Amino acid sequence: MSQFQKEIVQAVLIADNNVWNFKPLSDEGSTALLPLVNVSMLDYALIALNRSGVEEVFVYASLYLQDIRDHIKRGIAAYASWSFKMTVHVIGGEGCRCFGDAMRDLDAKALIRGNFILLGADTVTNADLRPVLEQHKRTAKFDKGTAATLVFKECASGAERTGNELLIAVDKQNTRLVYHQRLRANHKESRYHIPLDVFLSNSCVTLHHNLLDPQIAIGSPSMLSLFSDNFDFQTRDDFVRGLLINEELLDSRIYVTLLPPAQYAHKVNNWLSYQLVSRDIISRWAHPLVPDMGVYNLQQQYVFYKDNIYKSHEANVSKVALQENVVIQAGSHVDVGTTISCSVIGANCRIGKNCQLNNVFLMANVIIHDNCQLRHCVIGSTSVVHENCNISAGCVLGAKCVLPANTKLANTLVTSSPSTQRTEEQEQVELEAIGPSAYIVNDLTTGDPDDSDAEDTLLPQTTTLCIPKMCELQQLANVDSDCSSSSEDEDEDESRAATPLPDDTNIFLSEVIDSLSRGFREKSNPDFLILEINSSRYAYNMSLKEVNFNVVKAVFGMESIIEPPNNNVLAAINAAFKQLGPVVSNYIKSEDAMLDCLKALEDICEENELVREKISQVVHYLYDKDFVSEDAIHKWYSQLDVQEHATLRQSLAKLVDWLNQSSEDDDDGDDDDE
Amino acid sequence: MREQPLNEVTQLIHAVKMGLVEGSYSITNKTLDIFKYIIMSKTWQNADALMQIVRAQSRIMQAALPQETVTSNMARRILKLTREEFELLQAKGQHFADDSQASLSLHKLVTQTSENCVSVDYSVPQQGLREALLDHLQEVETELETSSENISVQAEEHIHSSEIILTLGHSRSVENFLKRAIKKRQLLTIIVAECAPACRGHNLAASLAHEKNVEIIVIADASIFAMMSRVNKVIIGTHSVLANGGLRAACGAYTVALAAKHYSVPVIVLAPMYKLSPLHLCEQDAFNMVGCAEDVIAYDSVPARDAKVYSPMFDYVPPELVTLFISNTGGHAPSYVYRLLSELYHPEDLEL
Repeated sequence: MSQFQKEIVQAVLIADNNVWNFKPLSDEGSTALLPLVNVSMLDYALIALNRSGVEEVFVYASLYLQDIRDHIKRGIAAYASWSFKMTVHVIGGEGCRCFGDAMRDLDAKALIRGNFILLGADTVTNADLRPVLEQHKRTAKFDKGTAATLVFKECASGAERTGNELLIAVDKQNTRLVYHQRLRANHKESRYHIPLDVFLSNSCVTLHHNLLDPQIAIGSPSMLSLFSDNFDFQTRDDFVRGLLINEELLDSRIYVTLLPPAQYAHKVNNWLSYQLVSRDIISRWAHPLVPDMGVYNLQQQYVFYKDNIYKSHEANVSKVALQENVVIQAGSHVDVGTTISCSVIGANCRIGKNCQLNNVFLMANVIIHDNCQLRHCVIGSTSVVHENCNISAGCVLGAKCVLPANTKLANTLVTSSPSTQRTEEQEQVELEAIGPSAYIVNDLTTGDPDDSDAEDTLLPQTTTLCIPKMCELQQLANVDSDCSSSSEDEDEDESRAATPLPDDTNIFLSEVIDSLSRGFREKSNPDFLILEINSSRYAYNMSLKEVNFNVVKAVFGMESIIEPPNNNVLAAINAAFKQLGPVVSNYIKSEDAMLDCLKALEDICEENELVREKISQVVHYLYDKDFVSEDAIHKWYSQLDVQEHATLRQSLAKLVDWLNQSSEDDDDGDDDDE
Repeated sequence: MREQPLNEVTQLIHAVKMGLVEGSYSITNKTLDIFKYIIMSKTWQNADALMQIVRAQSRIMQAALPQETVTSNMARRILKLTREEFELLQAKGQHFADDSQASLSLHKLVTQTSENCVSVDYSVPQQGLREALLDHLQEVETELETSSENISVQAEEHIHSSEIILTLGHSRSVENFLKRAIKKRQLLTIIVAECAPACRGHNLAASLAHEKNVEIIVIADASIFAMMSRVNKVIIGTHSVLANGGLRAACGAYTVALAAKHYSVPVIVLAPMYKLSPLHLCEQDAFNMVGCAEDVIAYDSVPARDAKVYSPMFDYVPPELVTLFISNTGGHAPSYVYRLLSELYHPEDLEL
């Protein structure tokens, strides 16, 4: 039996990873089934697996499970190329909310029997993963603690940022991952912060700053159990980070492989990367995953013409209309005077006279009337755009939208009905109507975005949180270079990027930060959080003083406070304490503890500029809410070094004066005798 | 196109798409196996039903693999065989055996327009058709197996001692042909153009270098013209031979043929019979197959952002640049291809 088990190569496909980024189309169907050059993204991932000799695939989805099941069934009936020598199971359900849940569920179901390939359903690759899998097996033989091999692809450093870029450090001798950091989208670093420990504990380290994460990994069976053991792992990044921090504790290591330059791999996790990957598929970088190879169907659907034009035999288009890089599927009709370039036209679309389409992605059955100008936009299936519309700069129209004539849109998301938004916790948002069935969706995070996702891609939260959209690619590169030349100001998250040596205190701090952020996000019971913090305390042998100090530090170290929305740090602190107050007050009871708390604030001031500016309000707030007593503030204030903390003293002086006045009837000699 | 593809057909298509089955010979062989399976096991009552099935399956293969013409060629062969066997058996049944047995093809040519050829009713059940077909299929199979051998036997007629031969890329027939020549003739010099970007010429050179008594020179495609002046013969393989005698051959073949024309060097094309296809070059764009852009220019490079990158797989070589075809039945001039085609396939089967 065992030798039979070894022969099957298994793979896991995780769908619904970046749902929020594909608004509003993500509200209307599974993102895994979103067509990318007229073939759904799930099919690309399945074909990639099939080409790598995988025999059994588990597709893990949380949303629109039945749609995916139907799609798989249809694919098998249509002899899709992945349906040969490969069985596909669709599992999952509403209960699974993140990547980590999926892995824990897989572990519980015990479906995976050996090393497996782990892929996002949004990965497009032509790579043969067999050698990588073999290499992983060899490493696993050598190192029993091998948890996973991550597969990365080198990209040009000047390429467009889509939020999938990485900075990693690898032990050169055994390709072990020693440091992992995601680079931000829309941002160019002039320097990188790498912890010293990376160089101290490894003799030979290679740094890669130009890697693309296509969401491909080879997992060992232990990877699943690690997810089960560490229930706070939500994303793959959590897993990587957790393993790197607690390497000795978990006795697991992660290895890294780079794909050879000839193999293409990219992740489609937002509209910008959607545009990029579409372009790459059309210009044949992902060969043989190109439109004219019959990727999905048995029959070939397109004929390849000069200038990267893929035209179906059944499409009614004159050659003059198609300029370059166009895919046009069967049943579509284009009238005279229209020009199309760099676009994908789905099945049975109708485009009127004198339209101009550039970088437009039409799904099936779209109707566009005469004299429309469309640039850089996505239009969902069966939508109708009436005469003289001008749509540009990253617009996305959901399915079944009807845009009235003479509409001008730029950089907006439009959905067909006001109630299609998936509103679970968030309150019903009033959508602005621009037509009988066209409503503007606000993408500037009305509710919470998918949390794991925000963490996953590290969206630029200092600016407004919005979906990366399509745009002119050249322009994007220029903007980037401008921003790098003007050598931007100090990075706010420097403190986080430059992790100091991970001694026990720091590990404890980071664990508390993790616990608190999660508790804050999930609004969990403070008692549990206290329990968690206490268990961490014993694990790292912290004294009570250190615990007090670090808990406060952790509250202020949470992401929501380091990078508060709209830079409104006070509101963020208020929100945090509303939720986590009981936890803090559990620790900060005695006057000594309050002093620890204030000392922690002193520390925070040095690291967090926003808090420094508002320190007196922060202290006042803590006083108001009875976290610290007046005495403690006085004591602390008097202990502050006059030279070193001049600014801090200055900003606190007013507050202390006020405290003195308000408590004159009390013993005001208190601070004098210190 | 309502027909459902057979399991075997879909598997073959998948294997070809995935690159598991490569080369015209293996594809032809696999296709033949499929048709053999159809004839043996499919429940067909008469010749007409069989021909329907064969047509349907080959249409599916053609739609899925438009560049692999050998599958349709093989289907046409089977259809022709069915017609012949059916008529033969019918004639036997009607005691006209003596008439139709003698030189069937010539007879056909002469009587092509006469009514006895058109009005054959294939839907009449015919005893022993299956057995006869399987017998005949055995012959086709043997022909296929020995085709490469039969071609290479002719090497001595075309290659003489101390000649300089130029070839391009890596073709199985050419490899065997040259190996045979090396064994028989002394002091040969073989120049192999590497045929970028796949550089399959390297494989051929490595394979030939195992032989003794021969000098192998690998050149870049750009130096083909420079080397041509001293070459005695050009010997190339081809992907398929078109109806007018033109070639669809590996990319670079046109360069070689033009250079050879300039220096009046004879161009010999090795083409087994199964590569002859009754197609004409009509749609210039769809004729070719374009490969991966990465082969030509690196994805990361700056020009790759805006450039349109083509890596075509094939070249069209017009018939006037070809001196001689060598097939397993002997040498033919390009102008003679039409005659071979009419012998090989039935005129009604040209359109599947």
